[in-house]
Amino acid sequence: MSELAYLLKRKQNIAAWSDRWQAEAARFADSHRDLLPKRITNAQLYGLGNVVRSARRYADIERFIRHQADKAERAGKLDVQGYWNDLKDALGKLRSEAQALLKTLPLPSGAGNREDLDELHRELAGLYVQHLIAHSLYWTPAQEESRKGEK
Amino acid sequence: MSKQAVQEVALRVALEHAIARKSDEYDQRVREYADRLTGTKLDKTQVRGLETLASTTDKVSDITDWLKLRVGRDSGRERWAKESIGRDLVNELEGLRNDAKKIMQGLGQGEPDLERQVHLRLCREFLKHLAAHFEYLKAEQER
Repeated sequence: MSELAYLLKRKQNIAAWSDRWQAEAARFADSHRDLLPKRITNAQLYGLGNVVRSARRYADIERFIRHQADKAERAGKLDVQGYWNDLKDALGKLRSEAQALLKTLPLPSGAGNREDLDELHRELAGLYVQHLIAHSLYWTPAQEESRKGEK
Repeated sequence: MSKQAVQEVALRVALEHAIARKSDEYDQRVREYADRLTGTKLDKTQVRGLETLASTTDKVSDITDWLKLRVGRDSGRERWAKESIGRDLVNELEGLRNDAKKIMQGLGQGEPDLERQVHLRLCREFLKHLAAHFEYLKAEQER
């Protein structure tokens, strides 16, 4: 496989993965709906989005999430700590997705390495978080409106 | 040209025809959405922005994420969140997957990523018409 063919195939496979996993990220958001937007604020979600976009390694994302969980624990917000721990687990599991995707993408040189895996894992985590943030914010106005109606 | 290459070209041609037919079928639904959009505070740039995103991305999820974010940010409910227009559009675009599925079944094709790509093409067609109708109605409104 030429390098160009490899890059095109990689892009296509990642796009297909992203479309497939949008529903899974939405399920994560829905299962933590009770924490939005008061316990997990929009600002925190935007912060997560910024970190994911600027991260150079997957460990940078994990460090941020761990930090958020520790902060919540110190503040006694165990539900918020649970959210970040659940997210850490969900994103951590994407490593096996990255491994599976890499298997479908034989490198032009024939050699895959740890850096390729980490780079792909970071990319998949970024796409998952993109879906998660979009779906989390999606329902906020309706929630606010129903609250206004209750008053 | 090999037999396989000929089959490939024939499939592409059949796909283009099927997508074009579906695109024409969307006209009435698109007009209704465009009409509803003129009742919001959205301007041409924002609707064009959605069309441009659709025509440049390789993921359907990028389009629906874009819309979901804008619905979520519209706390005043004057733009994408007004009277559920954004939510209805998200559901509509996601529902075009069924049309893609039918097109693929009609052509006897089972390749999963091709179905996804057809779905993306249908979203692009839908939003292309939407932006055009919206701009037309907006211009009429401003006259």
